[in-house]
Amino acid sequence: MEAMVKKYQSKFRKVREDMNRWNELQSRLVSQFRNSSSIIERLQVLQQSKNYGNLNFVGGIGDSVLAKQMESLNNILLAMRKTLEEFHVIVMSLKKMHHDGRQLVKGSSSRLTVKQLQQQVGIKPSLVDCLDGLLLLYDMHHSEYLLKSSVVSALSALALKPSSSDIYALQQVLVDQPNIATKEVCVSIGSLPARKEREREIEKFNLFLTSYSPKKSANSSM
Amino acid sequence: METLDSTSSSSSRATDLKPENLSLGSSPLSPSVARLWRPAAQRNLRNQWPKLASYRKQWSSFSSAGRSHATALVNAHLSQRYMPMMELGVLSDMPDIRKKACAKLFKQQELQRSSLLSSYKDMVVVVIHMINTSRSMRCFLKGTNRSPLLQFSNCSEDLNDNGDGAGIPVFAFWSISTHEKLAEELIQMFILELSLKRLLVVEFVSIGCEVSHGNRLNWSNELYPDEFDHLRKSNLYSDETHEPVFPRLRERKSDDSAIISDNHSSPEVLQVYLTAWLAEVNIDTYRVDEIFATVGEEMHVGIT
Repeated sequence: MEAMVKKYQSKFRKVREDMNRWNELQSRLVSQFRNSSSIIERLQVLQQSKNYGNLNFVGGIGDSVLAKQMESLNNILLAMRKTLEEFHVIVMSLKKMHHDGRQLVKGSSSRLTVKQLQQQVGIKPSLVDCLDGLLLLYDMHHSEYLLKSSVVSALSALALKPSSSDIYALQQVLVDQPNIATKEVCVSIGSLPARKEREREIEKFNLFLTSYSPKKSANSSM
Repeated sequence: METLDSTSSSSSRATDLKPENLSLGSSPLSPSVARLWRPAAQRNLRNQWPKLASYRKQWSSFSSAGRSHATALVNAHLSQRYMPMMELGVLSDMPDIRKKACAKLFKQQELQRSSLLSSYKDMVVVVIHMINTSRSMRCFLKGTNRSPLLQFSNCSEDLNDNGDGAGIPVFAFWSISTHEKLAEELIQMFILELSLKRLLVVEFVSIGCEVSHGNRLNWSNELYPDEFDHLRKSNLYSDETHEPVFPRLRERKSDDSAIISDNHSSPEVLQVYLTAWLAEVNIDTYRVDEIFATVGEEMHVGIT
């Protein structure tokens, strides 16, 4: 049991790293989105030669500026796709984490009884709870990844037919991460888990990590 | 190989006077001279190219500084312009609030204007550095090959010496003139972009200045002391028309018929100006990277 607890602890540490990485990627994606949307919003202005003022004296300037902006836009959109791929790597890692966690319980040499799995001492979470938590985290991030993918596709489509309000709405969705409830906003869509539930999960992991620290493990393991 | 001590240079001076002085120029180098010329030429090129790369970086940072000054200038100007219509809510009770705000915005614009001009000056100077570097790629024989100690320098002492080692490859394949051609292609982009930036600077600096007041900057005005001397070095000043050469785009002439718009400071126009500054249409970034990469390959050094 003690060995298993250790293995679980290292998994949760990995999950934490994944979450940090996710946050980094999130801010990168948001800034990429802002950059590309500001180009998209400019495109219409850039298409009218009356907006070029005295630059009109420089032959061909309009086409060149427009071409350069399209090129930058393309580069940013490509970079966003790469960021999405990195999100996907995290989703896959979470999936593996849950899978491994389940294997750990099923295939352990000293078969754990149902009672052991559900055993909860005080406020400490049981192994079953932790396993459920892993699944929940995977679900949330998987759904969020799919949502982000469609937002990026929608943005590419908007480049051809810009609409400021649509772009703003997309950006809001991107920032809010509705599938992953955060502390500030809680949007519960359908049956997707809401903030409190997620916070409780994270709370559990933290408890797990702290309560099963080496010193205490002697009392809590059986 | 490149030995510099007083005795050797004085001895080479003496032999210099002799009529048998072998000229480089078009005649192929004697193998012994070529053997010594190449390392010196290689050292020189390995020196000059990274300089160009670092000037390019400096250009980028000056250009982006200029852009932020221009953006701040535009924003301050637009805020000032919209001040009379602005909803100030509770603030409207404060005495002279609009007047004070306008005065402050005016001050800000003055500040940004001079910052923008100094960024522009930085860009002019960096382009001159680029030009000078591109002209220092040749390697001339100093004194004579008769002397046991050969020396090389950046300036020609002998009219017959082209400094290109009679066109032999410096590293693997390219002669000096190939290196020069690539450097020229590179700096042309920056020269043209500088010219375009000048037009934008004139426009930005003139924001808010009415033509009727006579204080509006013209294309033919010098933007800072000695600017025209600087521009002359980049061939951007015409001594015929006595004003800077008007900007054009790469591989294009500026003879297209122009559409003249009446309002040069509408928010849309200002936005286009800022975008044009950012876009650097005359600088083909891929080509620039490619030039540095291939040159680096040729010289077996990474230029970053």
